[in-house]
Amino acid sequence: MDAKMLPKADVSGFLGELRGKGYEIWGPVEVDGAVDTMPLDGTASPVTEYWNSRVSPKAMVFPQSERMFVFSVDRSRPDAFILKEVEEPCIGRLAFAIRPCDARAFGILDKVFLVQGAWQDPYYARKRESMVVMALGCNSPCTTCFCHWTGGGPFSREGVDIMMTDLGEGFLLEPVTDKGRELLQGIDLPGASPSNLEEAKGLQDAATAAMGEPLDPSHIRKRPLLEMFGDSYWERAHEACIKCGTCTYLCPTCSCFDIQDEVRGPCGVRGRNWDTCMFPLTTLHASGHNPRPTGKERFRQRFMHKLRYFLDDFGTIMCVGCGRCVQFCPVNIDIREIIRELRG
Amino acid sequence: MERSEQKEGSWEPKILAFLCNWCSYAGADLAGVSRLQYPHNIRVIRIPCSGRMNPAFIVAALRNGIDGVLVSGCHPGDCHYLSGNYFARRKFTVFKSLLEYMGIEEGRVHFSWVSAAEGEKFAQVVKEVTEKVKALGPARNYVKERIEVC
Amino acid sequence: MERIAEQIRKEASRLLDSGEVELVVGFKKGTIPMVNRPWFARTPEEAKEFHWDGFCNLNLVNYLTKRKGKVAVVAKGCDSRSLVLHFQEHQITRDQVVILGVPCHGMLDRRKLQRAAGKKEILDVAEKNGSVILRGKELELVLPREEALQHCCTICEHRNPVLADMVLAPEVEERKTDRFSDIAQIEAKEARERWNFFRKILSTCIRCYACRNACPHCYCPECFVDCSRPQWVGKSQDPDDVFTFHLFRAFHMAGRCTDCGSCERACPMGIPVRLLTRKLEKEIKERWGYEVGLSLEGIPPLATYRPDDPQDFIM
Repeated sequence: MDAKMLPKADVSGFLGELRGKGYEIWGPVEVDGAVDTMPLDGTASPVTEYWNSRVSPKAMVFPQSERMFVFSVDRSRPDAFILKEVEEPCIGRLAFAIRPCDARAFGILDKVFLVQGAWQDPYYARKRESMVVMALGCNSPCTTCFCHWTGGGPFSREGVDIMMTDLGEGFLLEPVTDKGRELLQGIDLPGASPSNLEEAKGLQDAATAAMGEPLDPSHIRKRPLLEMFGDSYWERAHEACIKCGTCTYLCPTCSCFDIQDEVRGPCGVRGRNWDTCMFPLTTLHASGHNPRPTGKERFRQRFMHKLRYFLDDFGTIMCVGCGRCVQFCPVNIDIREIIRELRG
Repeated sequence: MERSEQKEGSWEPKILAFLCNWCSYAGADLAGVSRLQYPHNIRVIRIPCSGRMNPAFIVAALRNGIDGVLVSGCHPGDCHYLSGNYFARRKFTVFKSLLEYMGIEEGRVHFSWVSAAEGEKFAQVVKEVTEKVKALGPARNYVKERIEVC
Repeated sequence: MERIAEQIRKEASRLLDSGEVELVVGFKKGTIPMVNRPWFARTPEEAKEFHWDGFCNLNLVNYLTKRKGKVAVVAKGCDSRSLVLHFQEHQITRDQVVILGVPCHGMLDRRKLQRAAGKKEILDVAEKNGSVILRGKELELVLPREEALQHCCTICEHRNPVLADMVLAPEVEERKTDRFSDIAQIEAKEARERWNFFRKILSTCIRCYACRNACPHCYCPECFVDCSRPQWVGKSQDPDDVFTFHLFRAFHMAGRCTDCGSCERACPMGIPVRLLTRKLEKEIKERWGYEVGLSLEGIPPLATYRPDDPQDFIM
């Protein structure tokens, strides 16, 4: 049996050992009472009793701001007019104790950034390539969680290399992929006993059962597209929304970005920053025309993209049911309501 | 815009002076014509009125490596546009206190009233401002570093 | 609370039924605890959904900017001051708005409540007799209401609407509070300390602009952050750019902020942005004795002047 047990007291040691092998570890860290996914360099310990981080782990492969390259037009320099990359190569990023919904989200981002047989985003690819995911399953999912609607679950193994289950004294580490198996084989930890495995299964089944009946969002596909687009429902649905970027920035699957050069004098840097369909500037044309002129069009865009266009293109909605948007939206826009409405 | 030189013991601050066209700029001109000596650290930008001054210019200056800013206009009551300097006065007092509250050192940003006849005063103001900014040292905490990669 | 909700429903229904207004803006109960949704009722039937409790924090005047037609809005003390400012700044006219005033005992802070509940999920919040009762799985906690209030409410000096067409609850006693001692504490620090302090509290900002969008008085058709020629503020997470955004936004609020707290409530990261806006409130009060939105005849202080304004800082 290749499952192992990681006693809670040994977590820092375990992470230290992984760091020694060259892994760059990210995980949930609690700062001033709030949890965010951050690099774990050894100074801060990860928290493992938490609901979910505010900003999702997508920042591991798709940071909010990244510098693509720098340049100078100063002819006195030997490197004038040469675009220089500034990012350091990523050896192996390891996501520690992130939630299964966020693990699934990487798979969705892959569909956007790593188009098979076509274009692969190099900035994304180099961080994602050697990434290992250790997901911590949810013993007690929140009421705002609806991962099971989207094809996931509190212990979903999709996109996970090693599944972690909190058994109280320690974590059961179950390898899911060969990558995970190989990693575990290289670490000296006690093997899991049959009673560990049984206990874990009990917790996993209980958590899944506690989530209740899922709603199948794929029915959203059944309505004719233009009819859904033109529905007067959007007139009222968007009214309370203040068109900020909270939902999109906290979302583990949202991937819009804006590329911009910032220059001063002869030097400049081209950067990529998160963007959001909720801001008018996202679709503003150089002519001054904006195809999504009001909040209604932008609100409709967000949900049509997430729940219909992506579903049509990739067979899954662009949502993993993490519930962050539901928890953090200042005006209580609830995507679950919208899913129900669009399903009909 | 290049950053001010930082050589051993010979650092000179770079100060941007926004002068209103009708009074302060003319006052500076008078100082020049009268051959009055004043520190060379200032760079003048002429604006039509101190009321045109946008606090964003001050921030832009600091972020681009300028060590101090002077904004100068007509005396209250003498504004060529009647009330521009009155509005500027209120704007400046609020913005200055906010800047300082957020951690920009007191002494980086200055305001003055200099009339077209006050060549001497202009020279004096520039002297004082340069001294104060020099004593604070280079303004480095707010410079936009991200671009300094080459 | 329920009585206020009933009154809102009753008045809203009446106003819509008689055609006196085309729209009533209030709150509807949220789908999760501790948050309510702004609700736009256009028929008496829709007006039945109006709700009122301690989580009606957001400033509904945000939805009135440049609106056409007659509209009624539910307004607490801070909201009514925002309305006054909106009238002064011509964002909507007085005769367009029917103000349903609600004297307010303060709104609750969901973050404070969650901190009190620790890691347990709050499934229900009840307010009774000056207490807040939190319930959840293995959770039953009672807190005095004063300990759960949003910060702006703990120092609020205008809990009754300053302007209203009807007042839907008994008046609340006004009191003088200490609005600025925390600001004064920051002022007393050294410049470097203050710089580091603000950099630290702004370090979690994700530039979502929830603070700006939740504010009724941030209504520029083109926000300075979107201006590209010149670009005043970069769009990246460069800490200096984040700092600059908050610096400019706070300055734009000088003499205009009514301290409704919507910015802090909307912020997903819990950043105390009011430490900036209240500094400006303090300056405006000390220099010109002005408080925002108290009377229709007032003029925002940066839009006016007195020939004898203080100028001790001018050389």
